[in-house]
Amino acid sequence: MTKKLPNFMFTNQFGLFCIVIIFVIIFSSITDGFTSRFNIYALSRVVAIDIMIGLAMMVVILTGGLNLALGAIGVCAAMFGGWCMETMGIPVIPSIFLILGMGSFLGYINGVITVKTGVHSFIVTLATMSIYFGLMTMLTEAEAFRRLPASFTDFGSIKLFNKYVSPLLIISVTACLTLFYLFKFTDIGRKLIAAGANPDAAELSGISVNTMFIYCHMLSGFLGAVAAIMLTTRIGAAIPSMAGQLGMDWLLPAFLAPVIGGTLLSGGKLSVFGTMLGAILVTLITNGLYLIDVGEFWIRFFLGIILLIAVILDKTREHFTLKSVIVS
Amino acid sequence: MTELCLEINRADKAFPGVQALSKANFKLKKGSIHALLGENGAGKSTLIKIITGIHKQDHGDLLINNSARVLNTPNDATLYGISVVHQERNLIRRFSVGENLMLNNLPRNHFGLIDYKEIAIQSKKWLEIMDLNIDPATLVSDLTVAKMQLCEIAKALSLKSKILLLDEPTSSLSPQESENLFLLLKKIVRDEGVSIVFVSHKLEEVFSICDEVTVLRDGKNACTSEKIENLNRKKLVKLMIGRDEQIVRAKSQNSKNKNLVLKLNNVKSEIGHRDINLELHESEIVGLYGLVGAGRTELAKCLIGIEKIVSGDVEINGLKQTIHSPKTALEKFRIGYISEDRKKEGLILIHNVLDNSSITVWSKIKKAFGYVTDGMISMKVTPYIQQLEVKTPSNYQLISNLSGGNQQKISVVKWLAAGTDILIIDEPTVGIDIKTKAYLHKLIIELAETGTSIILISSDMPEMIGLADRILVMKDFKISGEVNNNHNYDKTSAAIMEYIHD
Amino acid sequence: MTITLQTLLKKDWFGLLIVVILSGILITLFKPAFLSSFNLYVLMVSTSYMLIIALAQMIIISIGQMNLSVGAIGGLVAISFSGVMEVYHLSVPLAIFIGLAIGVICGFLNGFITVKSGISAFIITLATLYIFKGINLGITEAEPFYEIPSAVKNFGNAKIGGTPIPYLIIIPIIITVLMWVLMNRTETGRHMLAYGNSVQSAELLGISSSKVVITAHVISGTLAAVAGMLVVCRLQLGTPNIGDSWLLPSFAAPVIGGAILAGGKVDVIATSLGVLIVAIISQALVIFKIDPFFVQIFLGLMILLAVFINRYREYKQEASRKVFTHD
Repeated sequence: MTKKLPNFMFTNQFGLFCIVIIFVIIFSSITDGFTSRFNIYALSRVVAIDIMIGLAMMVVILTGGLNLALGAIGVCAAMFGGWCMETMGIPVIPSIFLILGMGSFLGYINGVITVKTGVHSFIVTLATMSIYFGLMTMLTEAEAFRRLPASFTDFGSIKLFNKYVSPLLIISVTACLTLFYLFKFTDIGRKLIAAGANPDAAELSGISVNTMFIYCHMLSGFLGAVAAIMLTTRIGAAIPSMAGQLGMDWLLPAFLAPVIGGTLLSGGKLSVFGTMLGAILVTLITNGLYLIDVGEFWIRFFLGIILLIAVILDKTREHFTLKSVIVS
Repeated sequence: MTELCLEINRADKAFPGVQALSKANFKLKKGSIHALLGENGAGKSTLIKIITGIHKQDHGDLLINNSARVLNTPNDATLYGISVVHQERNLIRRFSVGENLMLNNLPRNHFGLIDYKEIAIQSKKWLEIMDLNIDPATLVSDLTVAKMQLCEIAKALSLKSKILLLDEPTSSLSPQESENLFLLLKKIVRDEGVSIVFVSHKLEEVFSICDEVTVLRDGKNACTSEKIENLNRKKLVKLMIGRDEQIVRAKSQNSKNKNLVLKLNNVKSEIGHRDINLELHESEIVGLYGLVGAGRTELAKCLIGIEKIVSGDVEINGLKQTIHSPKTALEKFRIGYISEDRKKEGLILIHNVLDNSSITVWSKIKKAFGYVTDGMISMKVTPYIQQLEVKTPSNYQLISNLSGGNQQKISVVKWLAAGTDILIIDEPTVGIDIKTKAYLHKLIIELAETGTSIILISSDMPEMIGLADRILVMKDFKISGEVNNNHNYDKTSAAIMEYIHD
Repeated sequence: MTITLQTLLKKDWFGLLIVVILSGILITLFKPAFLSSFNLYVLMVSTSYMLIIALAQMIIISIGQMNLSVGAIGGLVAISFSGVMEVYHLSVPLAIFIGLAIGVICGFLNGFITVKSGISAFIITLATLYIFKGINLGITEAEPFYEIPSAVKNFGNAKIGGTPIPYLIIIPIIITVLMWVLMNRTETGRHMLAYGNSVQSAELLGISSSKVVITAHVISGTLAAVAGMLVVCRLQLGTPNIGDSWLLPSFAAPVIGGAILAGGKVDVIATSLGVLIVAIISQALVIFKIDPFFVQIFLGLMILLAVFINRYREYKQEASRKVFTHD
């Protein structure tokens, strides 16, 4: 490696950033309307939510685990919010706190079961996904909440910066900055990473690994609830099918963003901005493919291919790069 | 009778920072039991790994039955008739004994399906050779450790292996079980034409069953194929240790007058310790000596709250205390534990020097809202990193890119930075070059002199006798005796051996 | 070997068999309609393809991996099977052959990429899940194929003689027997389990990891293909959403059957009983007119319960061993 080039040019994030720029150039030159105000605004609303979903998964991947129940948690939180606001008439701000509390609580349950059984979080969250979603459908009788307070739903359609950007994106970027701060500049963030990287070593160094893992799952639930709130304001209603069957529609963006962004699946290394760029890339490609008329049905196929390429590239890169940056 | 079945000539092997073997020779006669001896780090395990195809020598030849061979994988070694009876059992636990024995060549019936009756018949033959009177259908996980080991030997025989490598085979066996094993080993050497390489720390075992002895020291031969008749215990120990310049703690502190910082009263643990009594004074180094499996590391883990203590008292500075977790051990009682397993338990290999050396201090140096920066951390730990002369291009280097010695220094730095009162140091110098080893010894002495109380766990006799003030000998999860160390090697080591082998 | 209660109690399937019998008796006591011929028919039909789906996942669990794409393979095969019959008017046997071939190819890709990349099968099959599903949607544009030959339709509907036994269950039963033979009586199966128990030991024994992993994935893909085609027979049409909901049940049955996700421990009989338990209880919930969404909650709870029980049993075994070695 030459010493002359600045270090950041070798990072995954820089590479991703370049790829994003390349795709922007390609799509804006070969399609009409890619750079239109309408399209960019629409993109900002979509990408904001995908970033949150990606971050929510990232914090569990950090532990070397997974959260399949993420979508189910999101939908449960959204439906709970709808019930609070519409049925109980609780004002918007307290309702938002209740929604976030609900998300964290469901994450907490995942964390506790994972830690207590010592079973991989995959199977635990597979089960809780089904339980959460089933409970939600039973309690709501699969009915949507469509008469949410205007002050809540209007937020999703505000346009900022000369009507180019949704405020939802501001929330996501703020979340990225906050998480970056958490993992880079606080003791608890460092402990979360250490626990994920090598639980035995972290435990022997005086870190309570179980507590850290539970925090990660709670944080995942919390971020999932944020994503749910954003989605609810965007579509203007809380609908049981807003994340597909069992909330599984969230899984693809949830895995794509962190994996493309360079978060290590075995835990202990993460990239907040990589996840953000990953989400942006995925949204861009999806949008571009729509615009060049690939046909909406082939888009999943391409996303699958991208995921495959991303993980294989990541694996080959491990062989010849020194990855000493733990948080980025 | 003097035909050689395995021969290694002038083998060299280097690892980053360490010359593990230099011009080492090894000659195994057909039908003999040959002891391979040496202290930790003498190159013994490297030689074993060369014989079993895990490592390849840099220079030198390996001959099997007088023809030169290259062993690229463990599989090659098996093919040439070399089998290892591992310390970590290599059986499939959930399979039956018979199936494990036959797994490489499962007998089939005329439908091409596995014939379990045939497995039972064929495996029974090998089990009988090992005097194992067990049903081949028994699951391996239902066997005792001793029987698992005999099964492994039976398996090696079934693979038509003619050279067996036994690495510390008696470390988790009872005396009767060991005795039984030796009888069987002698029997298979006689009846099956097998040759055995026997690695053990227990010298009396060597005298009781081996024909010849090769001793390695610092990667070189201290002796090659010496007849056992020409040796005695004293000579053998001298060959193993040599006239090693050992750093010795200047004078034994009269610790008894100092504060008693840690006291264990009749401690019994969930994992099997009984009647553990231990006293540790300020500035004292108490050694825990014992064989592998004696329960020393496990005792350390009881002290820091990983394993449960079920009865008895732990007193810290005169007060009865309960330690639930390493977190309370560190934060409340200032007890630290430097693990023997640097890679698995000591360090986070995918993280950098800075994070690894500061993991214990984050909570301490944080400001409001948990604010901690690399700069703050660096201020705290860099002095220690420099003091220990850790060789690293920067604090941001990945720990996995450092040499073993420097890695070990970092796992020490993390506890120096934490400022512990009691430090449990477990096998601090295994697999580490001589220079770093000497440096670490000096450091341990300095630490004690500046007020830290140390429990030193080591299987390295010279290290133990050089550093410890008192040595407790552990055996079978109990403390079998205490030796007041006067730093006289011969006397102290003899006293320790008494307690191990009584 | 003598069969005693002691040895029976040690088997994973024995407890499950008791659960099946007890739950059957209990439900019948409250609702005798449970044993009606219609009910038994429905029970067997739903058991039939679930059995194969569970086995498709089980074989991957046996080597300590996961296959998220079981449903996607099943779906892709289902629409290909019905598609070639509708669009190209291919004969049924040829369509079956194509379906199986697709299953084999998909499974091979999963195994091959997993082995060559060294990445966990979880993430590889997550990617291929979307690739296979994407191809499925790309081909069908989310429209089902309706024109299924009557031979296929009849096979999906008919019962054997005057009994409530559906033809559909024949193939799953044969496959279950074959799978039992594979896992218990062939070298391939034993090597898979040995590999799942300990990759390291297996390699020291000279067992080829790539062969084991690829074989397991190919079998898994083939079974998913069979399940996909059976569902087409059952539904009488090939819809693109076949396989979407297989993920949870595919894990539920093996886990209820005592499989350990780390690998090396699966049991074909126990897995089959796991499928049966899930089917019986789902059916019972219908009979008792309990909210259908409760089935989902119930399935999740069953998995958690099974996980806890498996864990507890391991812990007990471990504890007894510890005492053993130190005294």
